[in-house]
Amino acid sequence: MKEQAKKYIIEAENLAHEYARRDENGDVTEIVRALDGVDVQIREGSFVAVLGANGSGKSTFAKHLNRLLFPTEGTLYIDGMDTADSENTLAIRQTAGMVFQNPDNQIIANIVEEDVGFGLENVGVPTDEILLRVEESLKETGMYSYRRHSPNHLSGGQKQRVAIAGVMAMRPKCIILDEATAMLDPVGRKSVLDTIKRLNQKEHITVVLITHYMEEVTQADYVYVMKQGTVACSGTPGEVFQNVGTLKECRLEAPQITQIVQELCRAGVSITNEIYSVERLAEELLRLKSGFKG
Amino acid sequence: MIRNITIGQYYVADSVIHRLDPRVKVTGTLLYIVSLFLFHNFWGYVVAVGCFFAVMVLSKVPFSYIVRGLKPIFFMLVFTAVLNLFWTPGTVFFRFGAIQLTWEGLRKSVFMAFRLIFLVLGSSLMTLTTTPNQLTDALEKLLRPLRHLHVPVHEIAMMMSIALRFIPILVEETDRIMKAQMARGADFESGSVLQRLRNMLPILVPLFVSAIRRANDLALAMDARCYHGGDGRTKMHPLRYQGRDFAAYFICIAYCVLLYSAVTYLPML
Repeated sequence: MKEQAKKYIIEAENLAHEYARRDENGDVTEIVRALDGVDVQIREGSFVAVLGANGSGKSTFAKHLNRLLFPTEGTLYIDGMDTADSENTLAIRQTAGMVFQNPDNQIIANIVEEDVGFGLENVGVPTDEILLRVEESLKETGMYSYRRHSPNHLSGGQKQRVAIAGVMAMRPKCIILDEATAMLDPVGRKSVLDTIKRLNQKEHITVVLITHYMEEVTQADYVYVMKQGTVACSGTPGEVFQNVGTLKECRLEAPQITQIVQELCRAGVSITNEIYSVERLAEELLRLKSGFKG
Repeated sequence: MIRNITIGQYYVADSVIHRLDPRVKVTGTLLYIVSLFLFHNFWGYVVAVGCFFAVMVLSKVPFSYIVRGLKPIFFMLVFTAVLNLFWTPGTVFFRFGAIQLTWEGLRKSVFMAFRLIFLVLGSSLMTLTTTPNQLTDALEKLLRPLRHLHVPVHEIAMMMSIALRFIPILVEETDRIMKAQMARGADFESGSVLQRLRNMLPILVPLFVSAIRRANDLALAMDARCYHGGDGRTKMHPLRYQGRDFAAYFICIAYCVLLYSAVTYLPML
């Protein structure tokens, strides 16, 4: 019941966005509707995943959350602030921080700690406070020992954690990861996901994870699946993975583990549906096996 | 080849010179470079070279490291020296056919070479002891008065620091593209200069496309992190003068006085 009492931090109602393609004379030749009537409500402190194949509009949606884009139609409120109002730009960007896909293209400074402080410098936080917050968020993301390093000598996963630290230093209520793990190797991906999970659980930061990796979604509280600019389906990961047909239409596939479990169910094995990790599946199978013996 | 340039490569060490305020180092280096061109006297070079080595010892940067900076200008150095040597009129001391060498030419070419060498060594020493970030900070502060002339000082400093951040990334990318083209049979090593330049085209085009894409991404990331120009911006590591910085300024003045008196009062050599 306590979860229910929490207010919505992101409220999108009938959100639509159109890109206009223009020719040399500046005349509009084509209008692409990247978002078309999106209704999304995200509670404070939750871990929400937005799934979608390429061109499903998930990145456009992410850019709206940070006011890098604003609605063509409909409304989007971030922590009660209307994104259509340009007065709110800086406040929204401090409330909802964003981590992008390419680790190299989002680190601005030549030293890790200066990059983490970049956002704070921009909003005019006093020097002492910057130093304090940078130290704090570097420790939170486990990058403190690299504070004097050049970002060029870090691995992709470490760079993304620096980017997360840069967002965390702003003390946002919400962090948006726009395919932040797409360019990482499995080790880097795990380190980034572990970091954001910890931030979600310990600091109660709202996490919006935008991705096309089904495996990452399993940890989320709630999942939105996007298709051609609309929300195709939504629910808990378990509910979403049941909709194999809808997922196929969205050019997505349920994680391998879920597929195995579903096949087992179909074959008549009495196994629970809520299994998302190899360890958990192994445990469950062992339990079943010992059950047979006993 | 790009990797050989020492300018912009910080040498990590803990020395008095490293700890100096970058503004002092920039001003001092400029003063030093200008001073190299203001005299034509042997004693002046003794002072200038002596001072360079004194600062070098203080900075703990090994000489071999600084000398690397000379490699890219080696050709230019030889070229200027030869030009000066052969084409300066004066007392001839050697003649072979149309070639004649003069004492004035010899003197001029040696001095010119000295100036160029110490110009590069001096600025290399500065960049080796100053991080690129400190350097841009210093320039932003030093050039601040130009804002009144509507020079976008903050933007220029920001651009410089971003350029510095992306140089290694783009170098790596060039390398990667070159290897990819080589794997497809491209040849960058043989042929005439013109031919080789033309062969570079398949490297430049993808490099530019990628650089523009990166710029676009970076602009978005900066926007997302509340960047809105230099107004109302604070600094994580603001520059503050310490006692040693004033001492360094004083030493710079002392250098000028010493140089002036050496050039003026010691016999012309």
